[in-house]
Amino acid sequence: MSEPRGHAGHVVDVRGLGKSFGPLRVLRDVSLHVAAGRTLCVLGPSGSGKSTLLRCINFLERPDEGAVFLRGERVGFRRTPAGRERPMSDRELARMRTRIGMVFQQFNLWPHLTVLGNLVESPIHVQQRPRGEVVAEADALLDKIGLRDKRDAYPSRLSGGQKQRVAIARALAMKPEVLLFDEPTSSLDPELVGEVLAVMRDLAREGQTMIVVTHEMGFAREAADEVLFMDEGAVIETAAPQRFFDNPSTARVRQFLQRFA
Amino acid sequence: MAWSPLLSELARGTVTTVTVSLAGIAVGLVLGLALALVRARGVPVVSPAVAVYVSVVRATPMVTLALLIFFGLPSFGLSLSPLVAAIMIISINTSVFQAEIWRASLLDFPRGQLDAARAGGMTRAVAFRRIVFPQAWRASLPGLVNEMTLVVKGSPAVAVIGVVDLTRVAVRWTTVTYEPVRPFLTAAAIYVVVVMCLIRLQRSVEQRIVERYGSL
Amino acid sequence: MIANFAVVLGEWKPLTTGFLNTVWICALSGAVSLVLSVFVSMLLVSRRSALRRAAQGAVDVLRALPFLMLLFIVYYCLPALHLRFSSWTCGLASLVVYNTAYFAEILRGAWAHLPREQEEAGRAYGYAGVGLYRRIILPQILIASGPVLGNQLITLVKNSAFLMVITIPDLTFMANQVQAIYFVPFETMLVAVMLYWTICSTIEWIVRGMERVAVVRGHE
Repeated sequence: MSEPRGHAGHVVDVRGLGKSFGPLRVLRDVSLHVAAGRTLCVLGPSGSGKSTLLRCINFLERPDEGAVFLRGERVGFRRTPAGRERPMSDRELARMRTRIGMVFQQFNLWPHLTVLGNLVESPIHVQQRPRGEVVAEADALLDKIGLRDKRDAYPSRLSGGQKQRVAIARALAMKPEVLLFDEPTSSLDPELVGEVLAVMRDLAREGQTMIVVTHEMGFAREAADEVLFMDEGAVIETAAPQRFFDNPSTARVRQFLQRFA
Repeated sequence: MAWSPLLSELARGTVTTVTVSLAGIAVGLVLGLALALVRARGVPVVSPAVAVYVSVVRATPMVTLALLIFFGLPSFGLSLSPLVAAIMIISINTSVFQAEIWRASLLDFPRGQLDAARAGGMTRAVAFRRIVFPQAWRASLPGLVNEMTLVVKGSPAVAVIGVVDLTRVAVRWTTVTYEPVRPFLTAAAIYVVVVMCLIRLQRSVEQRIVERYGSL
Repeated sequence: MIANFAVVLGEWKPLTTGFLNTVWICALSGAVSLVLSVFVSMLLVSRRSALRRAAQGAVDVLRALPFLMLLFIVYYCLPALHLRFSSWTCGLASLVVYNTAYFAEILRGAWAHLPREQEEAGRAYGYAGVGLYRRIILPQILIASGPVLGNQLITLVKNSAFLMVITIPDLTFMANQVQAIYFVPFETMLVAVMLYWTICSTIEWIVRGMERVAVVRGHE
């Protein structure tokens, strides 16, 4: 039996995802979809499987069950001419990942490259685009995040907030179809959170398709088109932010909001 | 007591010592990285075999290794000139130490950076070449320069198989002239200068890394 | 190849002699240089700067010198100054002097890393001078540097093979004799290599034990 094709109108379509680490079940039958230009915020207590969900979407973790589709194409598997599905090779998977940007909690900038070097690395060496064009675009991105003056600095010279803004620009430089954020502000000092959220808010407004795992309730309320709540590896509730925050339909979400809001 | 013939002999010996050391280090660099990568990949049978090989060669004195290679290999039909044998001995010796240096920096490599490379669409090979290697290289560099000082200090072992390096020049001069003090003390001074230059190089490498990237 | 190994194993007597010689040479020179290095390390932190600089200079030069060079200097140059010693004395003395420099530098490094407060606490409880060093500082730096000293001991074992060039019948010397007599160089030297591996693995095993002790006593 062949897997169902994803919905081509959705940028990301996740169906029935399951994942275990040894005896621990981290994801149970998780499904979601994001339409073009929309922002989905994923909320939930620590250890609820939010990060694993993101890492399964771009196959940094290989899910045990279920399927992920990017614009209707299955991630991690390729259809052979005979119509069967086989796991993608390292190279095929890498090409797919260029269409899915990711921003990490710990930034994960490459410390041996300058800020500009971090931005142009993958576009030049993975997408094989001409250097001049890539550098010009990278400079424009640096203008946008307000860090043009840090262009030639090494990451160790930047503050946490600056690092994360660079990491966002690095992901954008690939012109991804969707951008995944894995708790992008959780390892920042409180006074640096604002500058990163401001950049993300702008992106949401400009119509960048995003999936954001976060603990920032304010950001979810303002910037999200939809909010998804997870607990113990399962999706508990999906709703528009207004409804999610003001009138949640499950007791579990009410309990969670009381503690955080 | 003429200095100039002695000094020109010692100079020639110094060139030999530096040449076999550098050649051995260069070959050992490639060999060491290969050993470290095989070990890190966790190939069944092969990786544990490499681990045992590294452990045995690490415990082998340079002289003993020199005798094993120079006298042992001809029984397999491999006759080597002393100079080639010397480079081989040094590279075998230094490669296992360099493998340990590479291994340590590969093991220390931050997982998140590799995630970022993979998420950015890099294949394993590209991620290694563009992201892992440049940093592992940087992390290994001070250790590798330190290893160069150890190689130079171990290199007199090749005098035992007949290579006329700095040590053997001094020995030869002594046996011919019955005059030991000048040749040995001068040779010793040359070794000390070479090794101290390498130590200074290591410090400046470390300092430059710290200045540029904020930490070692 | 198997037959050749049989020849080598038939010569177990000289090989055992060489092995045991290597073991006691290393054990003795290791122990003596440990004791000496404690005193030298005190010179390396001496408050008299001339003394400290002289000691540090000597240690630095020795550590930059190949061991074989030191051995030859002792073996060939001392007689020119009318100081004649047996090759055994020359060999052991060279090993001890060379290794003492390394040990002393390791102890100095450990001392430099010891928190100042330890010394102050010792003084607060009435310790001073040698007593302070012997009861408070030395035990701590020995525990902290135990693993590094162990690794240096492995280097000592490997340097001891150079003694063959002044005809001291150590493991490498005996193996070299066996291979020259029976023309089985590869097999003989391989057996010697495995014996060195046994010695070094034993030391490494002890080092790991010392590492555990060091961690328990608060040193990483």
